[in-house]
Amino acid sequence: MLYLQILLNGLLLGGLYALIAVGFSLVWGVLNVINILHGTFIVLGSYIAYFAHLYFGIHPFASVIISGSVLFCLGYVIQAGIINRVVAAPVLMTLTLTFGLDLLLNNAMLIAFTADYRKLILTDSLGSYDLWGLILPLNRVAGVGLAALLTFGLYRLLRDSNIGRAIVAVRMDREAATLMGVRVNRINAVTFALGALMAGAAGSIFSIIYPISPINSGLFLGKAFVICILGGLGSVPGAMIGGIALGVIESYGALFLGPEHSTTLAFVILIALLIFRPTGIMGRKGYE
Amino acid sequence: MKKIAIFVAIVALLALPYFGNNYIVRLATVMMMYSVLALSWNFIGGMAGYPSFATAAFFGIGAYVGAILQANGIFFGAAWFAAGLIALIFAAIMGRAILHLRGHYFAIASLVMVEVLREVVNTNDQITGGGMGMNIPILKISVEASGMLFYYSMFVVALLTLATTSWVYHSKLGFGFRCIQQNEAAANMLGVDSTKYKTIAFSLSAVFVGMAGAIYASWVNYIEPPDVFDIFLTIKPVVMVLLGGMGTVFGPIIGAVAFLALEEIVWRNFLTIHSALLGLLIVLLVLFLPKGALFFDYRQFFRGRKK
Amino acid sequence: MKKRALFTLAVSTLFVGLQAVGGSSSVQAAEKTIKFGAPLPLTGALAPEGIKIQRGLNLWMDTANAKGGIKVGNEQYKIKIIYQDYQSNTPRAVQTAEKLITDDKVNFLFSPFGSGATKAASGVSEKYGIPTIASTASSEAVYNQGYKYLFGTFTPNITLTQPLTDMVIAKRPETKTVAILARNDFFPLAIANVMKKSAAKRNLKMVFFEKYAIGTMDHSSALVQMKAAKPDWIFATGYLNDLILIRNQMSELGVKVPVLTMVAGPAYKEFIDGTGKLAENITSAAWWHPAVRYNGKGVMGKTENFNKLFKAKYNLVPDYAEASATAAGIIFQLAIETAGTLDHKKVRDALATMDTETFFGPIKFGANGQISSLKPPVFQIRGGKPLVVYPDVIKQIDLKFGIK
Repeated sequence: MLYLQILLNGLLLGGLYALIAVGFSLVWGVLNVINILHGTFIVLGSYIAYFAHLYFGIHPFASVIISGSVLFCLGYVIQAGIINRVVAAPVLMTLTLTFGLDLLLNNAMLIAFTADYRKLILTDSLGSYDLWGLILPLNRVAGVGLAALLTFGLYRLLRDSNIGRAIVAVRMDREAATLMGVRVNRINAVTFALGALMAGAAGSIFSIIYPISPINSGLFLGKAFVICILGGLGSVPGAMIGGIALGVIESYGALFLGPEHSTTLAFVILIALLIFRPTGIMGRKGYE
Repeated sequence: MKKIAIFVAIVALLALPYFGNNYIVRLATVMMMYSVLALSWNFIGGMAGYPSFATAAFFGIGAYVGAILQANGIFFGAAWFAAGLIALIFAAIMGRAILHLRGHYFAIASLVMVEVLREVVNTNDQITGGGMGMNIPILKISVEASGMLFYYSMFVVALLTLATTSWVYHSKLGFGFRCIQQNEAAANMLGVDSTKYKTIAFSLSAVFVGMAGAIYASWVNYIEPPDVFDIFLTIKPVVMVLLGGMGTVFGPIIGAVAFLALEEIVWRNFLTIHSALLGLLIVLLVLFLPKGALFFDYRQFFRGRKK
Repeated sequence: MKKRALFTLAVSTLFVGLQAVGGSSSVQAAEKTIKFGAPLPLTGALAPEGIKIQRGLNLWMDTANAKGGIKVGNEQYKIKIIYQDYQSNTPRAVQTAEKLITDDKVNFLFSPFGSGATKAASGVSEKYGIPTIASTASSEAVYNQGYKYLFGTFTPNITLTQPLTDMVIAKRPETKTVAILARNDFFPLAIANVMKKSAAKRNLKMVFFEKYAIGTMDHSSALVQMKAAKPDWIFATGYLNDLILIRNQMSELGVKVPVLTMVAGPAYKEFIDGTGKLAENITSAAWWHPAVRYNGKGVMGKTENFNKLFKAKYNLVPDYAEASATAAGIIFQLAIETAGTLDHKKVRDALATMDTETFFGPIKFGANGQISSLKPPVFQIRGGKPLVVYPDVIKQIDLKFGIK
């Protein structure tokens, strides 16, 4: 029974993790940019949800729309205005650039909101449900459900819409896409903006689960890295598989190795994968 | 001309503790340390073109090896050398595992190494003190003598690193690094054993950093995992090299001095926004000075002419 | 190209030089001042704690200066506290402490936040012979280096856990098992280890003891395992965000126990805000609580007066960290006035022989510099407020059991 509960916890955790990674993976896979800002975007999404709830009483799940839109615009501006200038530059440059931008945004948030942890408390929390001895924390279940919905939405967007297909085209072959008439600069900006949107949405959903502070941004980013390597870059199913895998690994890791090691376990798996199978579980090649 | 300038600079730096107060000596020690970090990263990142984020890993290893040895009674000088050696061996082994990766994957692997090492140190608290940190015994000498000791020690390591950089730059090794940076496949075809060269570059980027880490531990007398396995210990040297000029001999030093100057000004006057300012510096650097200040054509910039 | 390099080098060196010159010259004040150095984490992960200390120190400084400052012999000296931010980075804390001593030439020093940084920086104070008071360091490991110039306002960690354990067993004798979950960090781990000892002393069986890594975002595995062990008592340590998360996850996973103790969140208002109704019946212990009543030497007077002044200045009820910082200031003031001089050794001796009472509690230091006279209160959150359950003389309410 204990093992089953831990599995369930892992799956729920994994569902949330998948949402963290999906936007990050998209940006990395399509633009070949590691967006260090991703963690900070998530925290910003959480703050938007927090204040929307505090001042207007909006439920965090509903404020997904608000935070998603705000982050979309922010992401678009940042990419089109700054990142696009170096998008063809070596890895070191783009990585350092997003690192610098992250410092800026994080510090701005620290000044605006202070480092004090905020916690969003729902007056009508859903509580837990006992399912034949297994405890289901309903807030998390709802959160994961919403996350799955968003992820599925992104997946359909990439497959079926014109813009989505253009994004996939750029991911597959940048030059060929240009020849086909795709305006790559615009696609770059839209992709990045979409990644930011997913981050903002994740932040909203997380606001009822985790305490909110700019200090947490690095934690989210670390998970995103591991999931992308686990699941492969640039693909939505990959991020989902990677996320769920990580959640389950961490849950069982905490059981067998002790909670102090579960994070390290993730990183050790990451290194092992990088050494032996960099394309991840799904086997899709990312950029080199 | 250049040789005379270098000679004068070295003499001036040697005499520094006799002219400056404690603050200046401390600042100069930090500058020497920064120079070591920047010059070291330059081997793997600037010359060979591999974006390594492992500097913090080597620094942390050096600091802990130094601390553990000293806690067991080993003379500090020997501890420092041993720390550098262990860092070098670690880099060689780690290099074998991850140097076949390219671009982002290599960057992440080296970054994650820092995290893993930090947790390993945290966990093995019997030897390392874990989350409670480690104390290094204070040397029983006067405050001034202590300041001078650490200054000169860092200075020597910096000089060693600089000499190595210069030698490598002008040698076949340096040529090989540059080939690898430009086109690794072609370099292999031309007979450059890229695996061997990369490992050497990576190891070079570790040995002096390890020594600096050990000296640092003795200097501050107390270390904890999050402080010596700190990602900023990697990022700052990268920024310094970017500032000064990637792949050159003196670029990293120029970058280190400039960066330290900025850092001191900012730390004194702009406490609450210092990381934002660092971020701004990085953004401006990447956008406008990708090759570093040494390559920046000041005259053209001011006359507004485009190349 | 080389010319440009030299130019950059020259300008940078000039900048640095100017800063150095600018920094070391001190403006001669018209009135006499005593300078106190306070290296604090005003930014970074520990910023909330650093700001608390700053509040406490500023209250002391402003109140004392309004009354004329510190009396040294026949003269009045104003208090000047020089704050420096070390960005929550311990080696920086050490450097900042040294800088305050050598460049700003402070007369006395307050320790940085927490046992780790205090221990690290204490080497510097000892090296220069500067009396230093630590307002947030409790672990005995901090005071075991044989230093003569370090004093601390927190009693050893066991004084927090032993009275609590005794009380729980006295009021609920059927308590047999305890589960401990600790953050793998200096203070939280230290107090968890001490709780282990306290539990063993009263023959409680420890059914679970685990550490979680700094930055853990999910405690469900640990909590589920704890639940399976069916403990009577859960003892969790960590910082604010950890404890808020743990409490919330306990509720999500249906972990119910008779007794839940957390260190060191429940003393803070932010914890109660972050857990809402879930905070009910959580117990904790701390070195001070606004409900204690002591008569005070020093400019704060008695405890009620301190509470009043604090509320007037900040519109907040003070917590133990803030009170401890103010107490550190008061202790320095009393020692300097007793010694009648600013001489480091004499002030140090005045501190070592102090035996008095302040709003914070009775002040007497042991041979290792750590305070030995305090009786830390145990309290429980009831109706959204932390109320004292021990010691009996200031008890506000009786201990209740049952965490839902």
